[in-house]
Amino acid sequence: MRRLMLAALAAILLAPATARAGTYDLTIGTAAINVAGKDQTAMTINGSIPGPVLRFKEGEDLVINVTNTLAEDTSIHWHGLILPYQQDGVPGISFPGIKPGETFTYRFPAQQAGTYWYHSHSGMQEAVGMYGALVIEPKAREPFRYDREHVIVLSDWHPDDSPHKILSNLKMSADYYNYQKRTLSTFVDDAGKMGLGAALADRMDWGDMRMLPSDIADVSGYVFLANGRNTEQNWTGLFKPGERVRLRFINAAAMTFFDVRIPGLKMTVVQADGNNVRPVPVDEFRIAVAETYDVIVRPTEDKAYAVLAESMARTGFARATLAPRMGMAGDIPANRPKQYLTMADMGMAHGDMAGMAGMDHGTMGQGATHTMPDGSTMAGTRHEGQGMTHAMPDGTTMKGESHAGHSMPAQPTHTMPDGATMAGMDHSAHGAPASGDKADPFYAPGSGLMPKAAEGGKFLSYADLKAIKPLYPDRPAAREIEVRLTGNMERYVWSINGVKYSDAEPIRLKFGERVRFKFVNETMMTHPMHLHGMWQILDNGSGKYNPAKHTISIAPGKTVEADIEADAEGEWAFHCHLMYHMATGMFRKVVVERETAEAVR
Amino acid sequence: MTTSKKTSSRAACALLAAVLGMGTTPAWSGAGQPGHGHDAAPAQGHMMGGQGMPGQMMGTQGMPGHHGAAPAIGGPGKAADVTRTIDITMQDNFYEPAEIAVKAGETVHFKIVNKGTLLHEFGLGTAAMHAAHQKEMMVMMEHGMIEADRVNHERMKMSHGPGQMAMSHSHGADQGSVLVEPGKSAEIIWKFPKEATLEFACNVPGHYESGMMGPIRIK
Ligand SMILES: [Cu+2]
Ligand SMILES: [Cu+2]
Repeated sequence: MRRLMLAALAAILLAPATARAGTYDLTIGTAAINVAGKDQTAMTINGSIPGPVLRFKEGEDLVINVTNTLAEDTSIHWHGLILPYQQDGVPGISFPGIKPGETFTYRFPAQQAGTYWYHSHSGMQEAVGMYGALVIEPKAREPFRYDREHVIVLSDWHPDDSPHKILSNLKMSADYYNYQKRTLSTFVDDAGKMGLGAALADRMDWGDMRMLPSDIADVSGYVFLANGRNTEQNWTGLFKPGERVRLRFINAAAMTFFDVRIPGLKMTVVQADGNNVRPVPVDEFRIAVAETYDVIVRPTEDKAYAVLAESMARTGFARATLAPRMGMAGDIPANRPKQYLTMADMGMAHGDMAGMAGMDHGTMGQGATHTMPDGSTMAGTRHEGQGMTHAMPDGTTMKGESHAGHSMPAQPTHTMPDGATMAGMDHSAHGAPASGDKADPFYAPGSGLMPKAAEGGKFLSYADLKAIKPLYPDRPAAREIEVRLTGNMERYVWSINGVKYSDAEPIRLKFGERVRFKFVNETMMTHPMHLHGMWQILDNGSGKYNPAKHTISIAPGKTVEADIEADAEGEWAFHCHLMYHMATGMFRKVVVERETAEAVR
Repeated sequence: MTTSKKTSSRAACALLAAVLGMGTTPAWSGAGQPGHGHDAAPAQGHMMGGQGMPGQMMGTQGMPGHHGAAPAIGGPGKAADVTRTIDITMQDNFYEPAEIAVKAGETVHFKIVNKGTLLHEFGLGTAAMHAAHQKEMMVMMEHGMIEADRVNHERMKMSHGPGQMAMSHSHGADQGSVLVEPGKSAEIIWKFPKEATLEFACNVPGHYESGMMGPIRIK
């Protein structure tokens, strides 16, 4: 009896209070790292790259002391967290920054769950190591199950030049780091393929844009890191065969987009930017700078699996390994062929060049296998009704197996119950698995950046992301704000609506309104646009299930729309998350304010 | 890219059947069973017999004992033989309970309710059968026959000709698999074999992978 009472008492004492308070201490300093064959100085959080994984509980009241031991100002921004704007950590907007020798105490409640990250928002400190993962455990059970988890922070490290040197090199010559210039011989090749006239026109257009068709990345020469390790240092996460493993991927790179795959494993995407999505099994996904994706994998064999994050420009890999024991390594394949931007990425594909825009319809109708060209992922909007018909020349395919043996009806065409193919569909995928490659509607048709799974199969598209539990009821936006992504490549100045940050007025939102940001990418670069303090609800055609993201990547030549519920009063940063785009002006202050009458009340 | 209206529904039916027939394991096969209801389009057949014969049209002839070639997973049971009722709650995306224990040869009454917001399946089978079924469900989803939170009966009809009960191809209480929309419930009476290595699982794309499956221990 007595024992029972004691047990009950203990249970009461151990039961969490409504809000636990957790205190965390972070120290900003420097440390030597060696990821490029020599010791180099990095700026660090608690002495390591990346900084420690911060683990919070949803509902916890956080107290985070950040002490600056550097000789310059610093700051920590909590990327993707919903919090009072004074705690957001952007010098000049949310607070003055943290002076050398000072300690700043952040206080805010953890009011969400999921995978996020934190980084310096001062100068270009983030590019030299100041970033780390932030994980908030949910109060409620998650819509998926796993036996263990690993955080994988991807990043880039420049072994030759400091961020300031990189920026001045870029300002001197925007193609300073462009090692992928096309040569006279590629011109001769092109002239052979597309005709001399077209090849010349192509070159002249590129000249007009003052850009080179190889400018997929502004900066090259990077070493790519997984959890701060290069490929030889091979960060390794353990598993027992048969376990379900959750991988929390965070792209903390300054400038690098990664295409992530694990040869031999299907990945099921369950979370994007911290929010749960309906699970999507994929073979590969692209992670823009500042995005996060959580995937579940189930390695069953007693062997090492390589986690490969290949740079979008195909200049190298970050490699980690999943293994049953330490000391094993997954294989690193050769880089895929370099990708080149096409005219489509300029948003101005020429009529006579349409054929080169990657739209290979040539294999349509032959062969016994094909992918269903249902186009149903085209921004997800073409699902509804109409009973559109589509001629299917033959039986269909499961996982690329041949149907040669099927005796199909004499009539070689038939109706599919769903949407027909539409312009922009890539029929070159015929023969691939039914769930395989389709043109991604978030890239210009024929784009040189169009994602394609390295080993065939499904490449995640933004169109696949659907919220499990929408954060906001769906409603039409009260107004639209055009956000043109602009730049002068020659002078290496990036801007929004043609105006760089230092010359711009803030974007003003009324508290409580829903506005639509219409991003129009008028440049040849992909821009991951990050809004602090509020979600951007990406319009991917899923209606009330449109996913809420903190970072939305907009490919060249594309227009992408997202709604913002202006529910967070204060002053917020809004910017491209590519370090050198942000630093040169692709940045705005967003002010959310109550209307005067209301404020007075 | 032309489509003959006249043949479209029949052809689509054959297509779907082909799709579903691919690698289908007999657990979900119902072809030729009385009341299966595909008499309207006999020419195409409904190749749900599976029988390990991909790449071949299946006739609609009755297939008595079509579970014979399959792994012994048991079969539909009689209400009178039920010795145990197991309540299964579907959530997004997991089951409660997370595992099931039954006695060898026992007949179990499963009462299944979907308390989630998404469409879920409760299917009985081996891991390999579930893996094959996942491919089929992926195709069904890509073609709009199943959506995130419902079965699209129009699409199913369109692909099967008027008035057909499409889902019974691969789903039906008598085949050890039911699709349950949010807020709805379903029942299965199943007689388990003496021994088998079975799982109950949801094969809606991504759900099995994210953990919506559990072992069935036969003791
Ligand atoms: Cu940018
Ligand atoms: Cu920021």
